[in-house]
Amino acid sequence: MKDDYQLTDLDRAFYEWQLDVPGFGEAGQAKLRNATALVSRAGGLGGPLAFSLAAAGIGKLVIAHAGDLRHDDLNRQILMRHDGIGKPRVDSLVTTLRSFNPNVEVEAIAENVSDANAAELVAKVDIVFGAAPLFEERFALNRECVRQNKPLIDAAMFSLEGQVISIVPGKTPCLACLYPEVPPHWKRRFPVFGAVSALAANIAAMEGIKLLAGIGEVTLNRMIYFDTATMRFQQIRIQRNPDCAVCQSQPPS
Amino acid sequence: MPQVTFSYTGQLANAAGTPEETLDLAEGALLRAALDDLASRYDGRWREMIFDDGGNVRSTVLIVLDGEQATGDKNAISLDGVRTVMLMTPIAGG
Ligand SMILES: [Zn+2]
Repeated sequence: MKDDYQLTDLDRAFYEWQLDVPGFGEAGQAKLRNATALVSRAGGLGGPLAFSLAAAGIGKLVIAHAGDLRHDDLNRQILMRHDGIGKPRVDSLVTTLRSFNPNVEVEAIAENVSDANAAELVAKVDIVFGAAPLFEERFALNRECVRQNKPLIDAAMFSLEGQVISIVPGKTPCLACLYPEVPPHWKRRFPVFGAVSALAANIAAMEGIKLLAGIGEVTLNRMIYFDTATMRFQQIRIQRNPDCAVCQSQPPS
Repeated sequence: MPQVTFSYTGQLANAAGTPEETLDLAEGALLRAALDDLASRYDGRWREMIFDDGGNVRSTVLIVLDGEQATGDKNAISLDGVRTVMLMTPIAGG
């Protein structure tokens, strides 16, 4: 990550309320403005995640999301626009983010993450947020993040539940340590309220903001799990798998 | 007889139709035996999510004992001194 950003008067005007957060200040804001993040899909989870990163004044967002907007996306995909139905999702999300905060650069890619593009996408950024609905996409990101030694915040939901895992290669388990193969029962269609996705999204956004700005304590070696049916939140201690096919060769740092 | 509370998340909770239940287990019971017992109470979906075709506990099921991920051979986990078992099937909803 570059480390040369000088806050402008416009930055101060935008972000002054968060500059008051203890330990953050102008130095923390400059670190965010210096940073580029990849968000893998901007649906129910990646959308609010990207929105919160834009609000916090990250420097640049690279967002990968294929396909055209459908009516049934709109219960959760809050970056989208009703007048964008039938058009590429990236068009909606770029319009929304640019009108919300033109001070944040947005590069939208009308493709989902795959083995074919993961290396190139991860190489562009300082931090990665995984929010895709298929394990194949999440695993492709995980492999590249481990290979390129970049932090990955993986956030997921199902029905009324959500979870966030902050992965720092060499320091924490990677996704493949927890799930060594594609879970056979996972289906592309899952029950979802937008509010549950957005909750997981904003926990993930805060993990990333803390990691980039060097504030607070990033939740390492623990999965954050919540169930909004009971509003029970918990942290589950997780461990590296010494035989992990993905991160085994990554030395502990 | 030690009582152990089993809780389920994700698709497994849907298959069980309940988020948790408590079992009376013999001293030194193996998790594997408790899972076999539980599988007999539910329809085939629950069993399929826990066990692979060879009858082993699936590599992708996350087993959490008293808040900590269990590691090592999932078929050989002892429940000695364990109060809660959380069985998590992986989720990837976005
Ligand atoms: Zn690993």
